[in-house]
Amino acid sequence: MASIAPGRQLHVPEPAAPDRSVGAKSAIPGFGLTMGLTIAWLSLIVLIPLSTVFIRSAGMGWFDFVAAGFSPRAIAAYKVSFGTAFAAALVNAVFGLVTAWVLVRYRFPGRRIVNALVDLPFALPTAVAGIALTAIYAGNGWVGQFLEPLGIKVAYTPVGIAVALIFIGLPFIVRSVEPVLEDMNVEIEEAALSLGARPWQIFVRIILPAIMPALLTGFALAFARGVGEYGSVIFIAGNMPFKSEIAPLLIITQLEQYDYAAATAIATVMLVASFAMLLLINVIQAWNRKRVNG
Amino acid sequence: MITVHGISKRFGAFEALRDIDLEVRDGEFLALLGPSGSGKTTLLRIIAGLEFPDVGRLDFHGQDVTGLKVADRKVGFVFQHYALFKHMTVAENVGFGLSVRRRKERPAKTKIRARAEELLELVQLGGLGGRYPAQLSGGQRQRVALARALAVEPQLLLLDEPFGALDAKVRKELRRWLRQLHGQMGLTSIFVTHDQEEALELADRVVVMDHGVIEQVGTPEQIYMAPGSRFVSRFVGETNSLPVEITGGRVHFFDRRIDVDAGGTADGPARLDFRPHDVAVCAERPGCLPMLVTGIYRRGGAWRVEGEVTGVERIVEIDIGADEAPPAVGARLGLHIAHARLFAEPPGAERDDEATNRAAR
Repeated sequence: MASIAPGRQLHVPEPAAPDRSVGAKSAIPGFGLTMGLTIAWLSLIVLIPLSTVFIRSAGMGWFDFVAAGFSPRAIAAYKVSFGTAFAAALVNAVFGLVTAWVLVRYRFPGRRIVNALVDLPFALPTAVAGIALTAIYAGNGWVGQFLEPLGIKVAYTPVGIAVALIFIGLPFIVRSVEPVLEDMNVEIEEAALSLGARPWQIFVRIILPAIMPALLTGFALAFARGVGEYGSVIFIAGNMPFKSEIAPLLIITQLEQYDYAAATAIATVMLVASFAMLLLINVIQAWNRKRVNG
Repeated sequence: MITVHGISKRFGAFEALRDIDLEVRDGEFLALLGPSGSGKTTLLRIIAGLEFPDVGRLDFHGQDVTGLKVADRKVGFVFQHYALFKHMTVAENVGFGLSVRRRKERPAKTKIRARAEELLELVQLGGLGGRYPAQLSGGQRQRVALARALAVEPQLLLLDEPFGALDAKVRKELRRWLRQLHGQMGLTSIFVTHDQEEALELADRVVVMDHGVIEQVGTPEQIYMAPGSRFVSRFVGETNSLPVEITGGRVHFFDRRIDVDAGGTADGPARLDFRPHDVAVCAERPGCLPMLVTGIYRRGGAWRVEGEVTGVERIVEIDIGADEAPPAVGARLGLHIAHARLFAEPPGAERDDEATNRAAR
């Protein structure tokens, strides 16, 4: 390039401005192939099945859609579903964090067993979990018999639903937070210590902000799972319309009555609401990441 | 004054420190120098209160602080990898130490902010308080870490390999700047390094450590010119080493007598260490060491000549003034060793040589 004869125009390609558009040349090969596969796979598995929900409900007309999707019973079911899922995810965020903390920070006998226990809700058929929880929390169950005299009814109430969802959602929080806690540099805490911070200050001001993104991810996963959970809930919920009926159950009920339009309307509302919440959490994450990583 | 009395520390089967005694004077800039595993970082962390000794006592100004937590020792600690709080701005990082104080002693938010800005000015990062650590270069981050440590007004500044993660140029600048800052602030500072050049350039006194014990304490001049042990001689600066035999106060390299004063070294096998620049070329005559030149290159203001000496496994390196004509490869030179150290060889220490070399790298 240094020996270009004067007066002779050589075609020297302009250094291309960094191109961040879709399909831009990347040093890492395989983008085209993997992206293509991803889109095809997502379409097949997620997008096409879900779009049929929209297509079905689009055919029913606006008035019918609102009547079915926002009937008082449906609205009550949404409240139960989203409310209990939110409460369960919140409880899990606290206790899941504690569990992850213990698993990462301390070495104790039986740690492997605790570690395996955490994943059990993933593996167990949800119906088994539902039946077991119902048996324990019913008025005459192991735990229920002590709560009943205190005026706390768990089984067959929204509290029971929340209990089932806490059970289902625990692994999401633990497994999201664990790797981040594991990666946390001890030096960071030592630095805070040397600057005079007390343990709770270190937790609140150093550790919590560092694991917040992971905690939020775990929360979103647990919440999303809770909203959609069906198997474990129906046994413990009691399924009283307007009280302890969850939206997925309402959909099943409509299906059983061959009211497909109403079922898809409710499904659509749930789909949009869930997607909006997950999107919101993702936006928060992105904002947070940008702030910290420059 | 900081006094370390007979401190020992083990990590499982590994003996990190063995019966360490050390005095650190007020206002001193002290280097703990040694290879990895020498215990230098452990000693620094014990002085900081981030680690506690198994045996021994630590005094700050005559007061026993052995059991005192790091927060109560009034020390500033700077970590090799900065250990900045990623989610806080630079100013928040610097102000952290003040903001975690108990309500009674805590300055107002605006005061903390002003103090942070002041310190950032001091470390030449004025106006960058609003940035996040990720937006700074390595050298800038380390200066933020320093400002953060200084914010709590420590009496003692402890730095663990403070330049270890920086590239050569930044490292040099930062070193000089830190030396200045130390002078300005009137602090007592202790820093850990495995880089002998860094230790000799920066410190008032250097503590050379190996295998959990202190090999020598002294000024850079003393450490370099009069190494107290074989280890120090090999670890600090460049050194050539010959196996010699001392008989009746005379130094023999195989059957050849070397013109070196045996001093008080006892008769028997010994090691003769000399620096590349402590050599003069002489004609081949008795008392000179014959060397076959195998390589030559320019090294700053001198010629570095590499050669073989029969009976020495490692290449011998010497420096010849740049204005002298360099010898050709294959030439034979006589070496007159102008300044050398002799270390009696303890029996059965033949291969100690290699271990030391490995450590020095």
